[in-house]
Amino acid sequence: MSFKIMPKAALPDWVTWLKNRYRVVGPTARQGQYVFAEIASPDELVLDYPTSVLPPKKYLLPQRETLFTFDAQSMQMKANIEWEPTVILGVHTCDMHAIRLLDKVHATGYTDQHYQAHRQHTTLVSIECLSPCMEHSFCKSMGTLTVPEDYDLHLTDLGDSYGVDVGSEKGEALLQGFTAIWDPTSEDYQRINKVMAEKWPRFSYRLNFDVTELPDLLALSNNSSLWNELGDICLGCGQCTKVCPTCYCFDVRDEVDLSLTKGERTRTWDSCQIDRFATVAGGHNFRSTRALRNRHRFMRKGKYHLEAYGLIGCVGCGRCAAACLVHITPVDTFNELYRRHKKGELLEEAKQA
Amino acid sequence: MSAKPKVAFFEFTSCEGCQLTVVDSLQDHPELLDAVEIVQFREAISEKGEDYAIAFIEGSCSRPSDEPKLQAIRQQAAIVVALGACAHLGGINAIRNRMPLQEVREYVYGDRAEWFETYEPRPIKDVIKVDAVIPGCPIDRREFIKAVTHLLQGRMPFIPDQPLCMECKLKENICVYTRGKVCLGPITLAGCDAICPTYGDGCEGCRGLIANPNIEAMRQVMHEHGLTDEAIDAKLSMFLTNQIMALEEAG
Ligand code: SF4
Ligand code: SF4
Ligand code: SF4
Ligand code: SF4
Ligand code: SF4
Repeated sequence: MSFKIMPKAALPDWVTWLKNRYRVVGPTARQGQYVFAEIASPDELVLDYPTSVLPPKKYLLPQRETLFTFDAQSMQMKANIEWEPTVILGVHTCDMHAIRLLDKVHATGYTDQHYQAHRQHTTLVSIECLSPCMEHSFCKSMGTLTVPEDYDLHLTDLGDSYGVDVGSEKGEALLQGFTAIWDPTSEDYQRINKVMAEKWPRFSYRLNFDVTELPDLLALSNNSSLWNELGDICLGCGQCTKVCPTCYCFDVRDEVDLSLTKGERTRTWDSCQIDRFATVAGGHNFRSTRALRNRHRFMRKGKYHLEAYGLIGCVGCGRCAAACLVHITPVDTFNELYRRHKKGELLEEAKQA
Repeated sequence: MSAKPKVAFFEFTSCEGCQLTVVDSLQDHPELLDAVEIVQFREAISEKGEDYAIAFIEGSCSRPSDEPKLQAIRQQAAIVVALGACAHLGGINAIRNRMPLQEVREYVYGDRAEWFETYEPRPIKDVIKVDAVIPGCPIDRREFIKAVTHLLQGRMPFIPDQPLCMECKLKENICVYTRGKVCLGPITLAGCDAICPTYGDGCEGCRGLIANPNIEAMRQVMHEHGLTDEAIDAKLSMFLTNQIMALEEAG
C-alpha cells in the first residue's frame, strides 16, 4: 500500500503509543533464548532476535484454551470465544508463511471460531531477516525468506531506521496519528535496495534438491528403511511438534469441579510424535511405532499439507531441529532420502514392499 | 448428597509427604469434605473407620508382613488408588533393589540386620490389584483433586500418557539441556506441570515412565551431555529402578 521510514529512536515511543491501544507482544529475552511475550516496557522488545522457542502461533492457537463452559444443573452451555486486540511485533517471514497456512487450515471446512476470533483481532508486524537466525534454519530452501502478502506492517532494518511497508488497513491503523514517521527519500530507497541485495548471499540453500521435488521424493519414501532408523533413536518426546509453527493438533478434554455441576471443555496442543496419539477407542494404536510416527510427521510437513491446502507444511524455521535432543532434523532427513533416491534405494525398497 | 463415598488413607513404606499434600489440598479445596467422607486418615483424624469404599494407599510394600494388610484393604475397598511414587513405583525405597539384599541390610542395620524384616520394595500393584494411580513424589495437589473428581463421576482417575517435555514446552521453558543439566523429561510421565525444569532443574523421573520409553536413546542423550555410565545408572535409579528392571527383564 505505502512505504514509510521510522527512525529507530522513535520505536520506544511507537511501542508505548501502541500499548495504549492494544495488547502488544513481541520477542523478549529469557535465559539466553527468546520468547514472544507481552511487552511491559519498550526496552524489553528485541527486534533483532534470532528465533523464539515457541512460534507466535501461540497467540492465535493458545497452548491451552477453554472452548466452552457448562453447568450440568441448569443444562446451560456457554461458548468461550475470547479475543483481545493484539499487535504481534517482529514476526519473522518463515512464521508469517506458517500463519498463512494456519489461516487456511482454520478457514477450511468447519471454520474454527476460536482461531478466527484471535486472528481477526491480531495485527501482524513482520520483520525482514537479514542474516540466518541460527544454524538449523533453512528458510531459503523452503521459499520462506521473503514475506508473504498477509502482513499488516513489514519492517526492514535500515541501520538507524526501519523501512515500514504498509500491507493493510489494519497495519495503517497502527501508524495513524503517530507522527515520527515520514515518506522515504531517494536515499532511503537506495538503502533498502542495498540491504535487500546484500542479505540474499548470506543465506545458503541447505536442501540438496529443489523443494518442488520434495512431495515426489516423499511419495517414493513410504517404505524407506530410514524411518526405522529414525524410530530407533527418536525419544517420542514431542518437542519437535510443540515448537513447530505449522503444527495445530490438539487434544480435547472435559473437566468438572468437585460439586460435579460446573465444568469446561478445553483443548491443549497435542503431538503426533507421542505414543498414544493415534490410539482410538478400543485401544488400537494405528501409528504404534516411533518409525511410523516420524514418517507421518515428515510426510505431513513435506507432502500432505501441500496436497490438502496448496501450501507446504514446513517453513524451514529450524525450531524442531534445535529442540531435538537426538538431532533428528528435516534437512538431514530430506537430504538423506534424496541421497538414497539417487542411489536407487528408495525404488528398490518400494518394490520389495 | 447423603451417600458420600467413604474414603480411607493408608501408609506403608513412605515419608507421608503425599498424605501431607492431601492435607494441603483440603486447605485449598475444603469442598472436598462435602464430597467425600474420610473415615481413616492418620495424618489428619484419629478415628479409624473400617467401612470404606475408596482406599488411597501411600508407600511401597517393603516387607512380607505388609502383604496381608494390603490384602485386607483390597477386600474392603471397591476402589484402590496408589498414592504417590512409592506406592506407584516402589519409590526411592527401590534404589536398593539392584544391590544384594543382605549387604543392604548389614549396611543399614549393622549387626542388628536380622532384627528387621525386609525384602525388595515393590509397588502396591505387585501385591494387590490397583485400580488407579496418582503418581509423583510428592503427588500433585491439583491432580489429586482431579482424581477425586473423576472418582465421584464414577470413572477412573485419568492421567494422559505423555512425556514431560510436552508440558515443559507448553510453558516455553528453556530446556535445561541447553543450560548444562540433564533431564529425564523425554521418558517421564507428564502431569506435574514440569515443575522441576520450570525452576531450572532436570526431571528425576518421579512420576514414572511413559508407555514404550526409548531408554537407550535417553542414555545416549545423557552420555552426550557428559554423564558417565555410572552417573546415568544413578539418574535412572532414583525413582525408576523397578520399572527399568522390569523392562530389562522383558528384553
Ligand atoms: S524432538 Fe526429536 S526425539 Fe523428540 S519426538 Fe521429535 S524427533 Fe523424536
Ligand atoms: S518442521 Fe521444523 S523446520 Fe519445519 S516448520 Fe516445523 S519446526 Fe520449523
Ligand atoms: S528461518 Fe529464516 S525466515 Fe525464519 S527466522 Fe530464521 S532466518 Fe528468518
Ligand atoms: S527441560 Fe526436560 S522436560 Fe523440558 S524440554 Fe528439556 S528435556 Fe524436556
Ligand atoms: S519434573 Fe520430574 S522429578 Fe520433578 S516433579 Fe515432575 S516428574 Fe517429578
